[in-house]
Amino acid sequence: MMLLERIGAYFQIVFHLASDPLNILILLSSVVLGIMFGAMPGLTSTLGVALLTALTYGMDTATAMLCLLAIYVGGTYGGSYASILINIPGTAASAATALDGYPLACKGEAGRAIGLTTTASAIGTIISMLFLVSISPLISFFALQFTSFEFFLLAFFGILISGTLTSPDLVIKGWIAGFLGLFLACVGRDLLQFYPRFTFGISELDSGVEVVPVLIGAFGIPQIIQVLKEQFQIGEAQKLQRILPEFGTIVRNIPRIIRSALIGVGIGAVPGIGEDIAAWVSYGAAKNTSKHPETFGKGEIKAVLCTEVANNACVGGAMIPLLNLGIPGSPPAAMLLGALMLHGVTPGPMITFEHPTFIMEVAAILLLASLSMWVVGMLLAKQVVKVLRIPPQLFMPIIGVLCIIGSYSLGMNIWNLYLMLPVGIVSYFLIEMGYPIAPLVIGVILGPMADENLRRALMVSQGSFMPVFTRPVSLILFLVIVWTVVSQFPAYRRFKDKLLEKIFRRKSRKADYDVDRSEEG
Amino acid sequence: MIEKEKLRKTDVYSGIAIFLFGAWIVWQATKMPMKDSWGGVQNVWFVSPALFPLFIGTIIMLLGLLLFRTALKAIGTKAFGSSLQWLFSKDLLQFLNSVPILRFYAMAVLLLSFVFLNIPRIDFFLSAVLFLSAFITMFYFDEAVLLKKLFFFYLAGTAFFIIYFAADIDGLLSRLLPYVKDILALAFILGYCLYAWRLIGSSPLLRKKYRTGLIVAIVAPFAVGFIFKYFLLVPMPSEGLVVAILDAVWYFEF
Repeated sequence: MMLLERIGAYFQIVFHLASDPLNILILLSSVVLGIMFGAMPGLTSTLGVALLTALTYGMDTATAMLCLLAIYVGGTYGGSYASILINIPGTAASAATALDGYPLACKGEAGRAIGLTTTASAIGTIISMLFLVSISPLISFFALQFTSFEFFLLAFFGILISGTLTSPDLVIKGWIAGFLGLFLACVGRDLLQFYPRFTFGISELDSGVEVVPVLIGAFGIPQIIQVLKEQFQIGEAQKLQRILPEFGTIVRNIPRIIRSALIGVGIGAVPGIGEDIAAWVSYGAAKNTSKHPETFGKGEIKAVLCTEVANNACVGGAMIPLLNLGIPGSPPAAMLLGALMLHGVTPGPMITFEHPTFIMEVAAILLLASLSMWVVGMLLAKQVVKVLRIPPQLFMPIIGVLCIIGSYSLGMNIWNLYLMLPVGIVSYFLIEMGYPIAPLVIGVILGPMADENLRRALMVSQGSFMPVFTRPVSLILFLVIVWTVVSQFPAYRRFKDKLLEKIFRRKSRKADYDVDRSEEG
Repeated sequence: MIEKEKLRKTDVYSGIAIFLFGAWIVWQATKMPMKDSWGGVQNVWFVSPALFPLFIGTIIMLLGLLLFRTALKAIGTKAFGSSLQWLFSKDLLQFLNSVPILRFYAMAVLLLSFVFLNIPRIDFFLSAVLFLSAFITMFYFDEAVLLKKLFFFYLAGTAFFIIYFAADIDGLLSRLLPYVKDILALAFILGYCLYAWRLIGSSPLLRKKYRTGLIVAIVAPFAVGFIFKYFLLVPMPSEGLVVAILDAVWYFEF
C-alpha cells in the first residue's frame, strides 16, 4: 500500500511539473543547451552546470533543479555527437563511444549510431532514476544511525577514493589534490568557535571560500587554457543520415543494458568518479563478455549501446550519495551540490525530513529530462550538430566571460572573481602536472563536514578515538580507508603476491600429497 | 598533461613545494589557540580550530615527501641534477619563448587584466568587448606572428591603464570629464581593432575571421550582460558609459 502511495505521489509530481508550459520550455531549452555543451569539444556538462548555476540563482529550487539536471543529462549524452561524427569526444564520458561510434559513422551509419545513443542514454537515465528512488530510503535510514565519527570517516573516505580513482598519474597526486581542497575549506572562520583561520586579516575571507566560484574556476579556466594553448582543430564531421530510435537493437540487448546500467549506477555512486570511468568499465565488460570481441573498435553497435547506457546511468547513481549523504558522486554532482546549497537545500540524511518530497522531485525531473533528451535527440539532432562547426577560438573566450560574470553574480561579490581566477590558474598547472581536479573540488565541498564532525565527535568522546573501533560502521569505514591507502603501496602488493603464492603452493602441495596417497592406496 | 619522464622531474619540484606548503599550514596552525582561551572559552585540544589544519598540514607534508621520494627514485639523482642545470641554461629561455608558452602568457594576461584591472574599474560592457575582441583576434587568426604583435599591443595598453589607475590620473581627469576611463577604454578598443586590421593586410581568410571575431566580440557581451543586468537584475561590477546609455533606453521605453 505504502509502495503504491509512493508511486502515486511520484507521478503526481511528474504531472505537476509537466503541466506547467514554462517548465517544459525550461526543460527543453536546458536539454538543448546541455547537448550543445556536451557536443562541443572542450566544453563539459560540469562546466554547463557550473555556468548555469548563476542563471538559476533567482529561480525556486524545483525550477533550478529542472534546469541544472536537464543540462547534466543533456551534457552527458551530447558528448556522443562529437565522438561519433568527428572522432573527438565531446566530453571524457563519451571517449569510449568514439572507439566504435566513429567507425560506424565512416560506414555511413552515423544516424543509426546517434539514434541508438539517444535511446540508450534515455534508458540509462531512467534506470538510474529507479535506483535513486528505491535505494534512497534505505541509505537514508542507515545514514540516520551515523554519528559524527562516521560522517568524518565518510568524508575522508570520499576524498581518498576520489583521489585514488581519478588520478591520471600517481595516486599520491590524487590524494594531494584532495587535501589541498580540504585546506581551501579551512579558510575562513571555523564553524565551532568562529576563529579566523588563514584569513590574513582580509574580512572577505571570514565567511570562507565560496564553493561555486571555486568550482567554476577549477573546471572552467583550465579548460579554456588547455583548448586554446594546444591549437586545437576540429576535423571534418561525418554526414548524418536519418536518425532512428533503434528499438529492435534495444530489445535484443536487454541483458547488456541492465549490466551497463548497474555498472553506471554503481560507479556513479562512488564519490568523485563519474561518467568517463563508468563508460570505460562498461565498454570493457561488454568486450570481455562478447562472443566476438574482435569486432570491438571496428564499429560494434553493442559497444556504443553499453557505453552510452553506463555513462547516463551515472547521473542517477551520482545523485544517490549526493542527496542522502551530502557527498557528490561525480564532478557535475559536486556542482549541483553547490547549486543546492545556494538554494538553501542541504543534502544529507535529514533531507527526507526537511524536504520530504525532494528526492521524488529529483527523480521526476530525471524522468522528464531523459524524455526531453530523447525527443530533442530524435527531432533536433541534425540542427544541434551544427555547433560542431564553431571553432573553439570563438566560443572559448565567451566561456571565459560567462565564468567571470557567473562567479560575480553569485552574491554580487567582486571578491569571488579574485578567488575564481587564481584557483583556475593554479588548477591548470595542477592538471598539467598530472593532478586530478575532482578530488580538490570534493575536498572543498566535504571540508566543513569533515572538520566539524571530527571535532564534534572528539568533543562527545572527550578526546578519545576509541569509538572508531567500537562502532561497527566506523570500524568498517576505518578499515576500508586503511586498505585504500595501504593497497597503493608496492610493499603491500609484494606481501599480497607472496601470501597468495604461499597459499597456492600449500594447496598444490596438498593436492599432490592427496594424489600420491590415492595412488599408493 | 606533460610526458611521463618530464612529469617525474616536475614531481620532484612539486613534491618539495607541497611539502613546504604543508609545513606552512602546520606552522600557521600552531599559532591558533590549542589550550588557550578564545572568546572567553577555555580551549581543549580536541575542539581547537587548529586541530583540522594540523591534521591536513601534516598529511600534505607527508604526501609531498612521498611524492618527492617516488619521483627521485624514478628518475635518479643524475637526471635530477641535469634538470637543475636546465633551469639555469639557455634552454629555459628558449622554452619560455616558445609559441605554446606565448599563447599561455597571452591568455593569462588577458584573464588577469580583465578580472583585476578592467572589471572593477571600467564599464562591464566595454571591458568585456575589449577582452573578447583581443582574445578572439589573438587566437582565431591562428598565426604566431600576429599573436605576438597583437599581444604586445594589448600589453602596452594594459600597462598604460595600470599606470593611469595607479597614479590616480583617473581621479583628476574624472573631475573634468565624466566617464573618462570608459572613453579611454573605447579608444583602446578602436585602436586595437585598427591595428589588427592593419596587421592582417589583404588576406581574405583573415579578413573574414576578423569580421566574424568582431561581431562575436560585440554581440556576446551585450547578450550576456543584458540578461544579467535587466532580466536577472544583477548590477554590473562597474557601471559606466554604456550602462548609462542602456539604462536610459531600457527604463525610458519600458
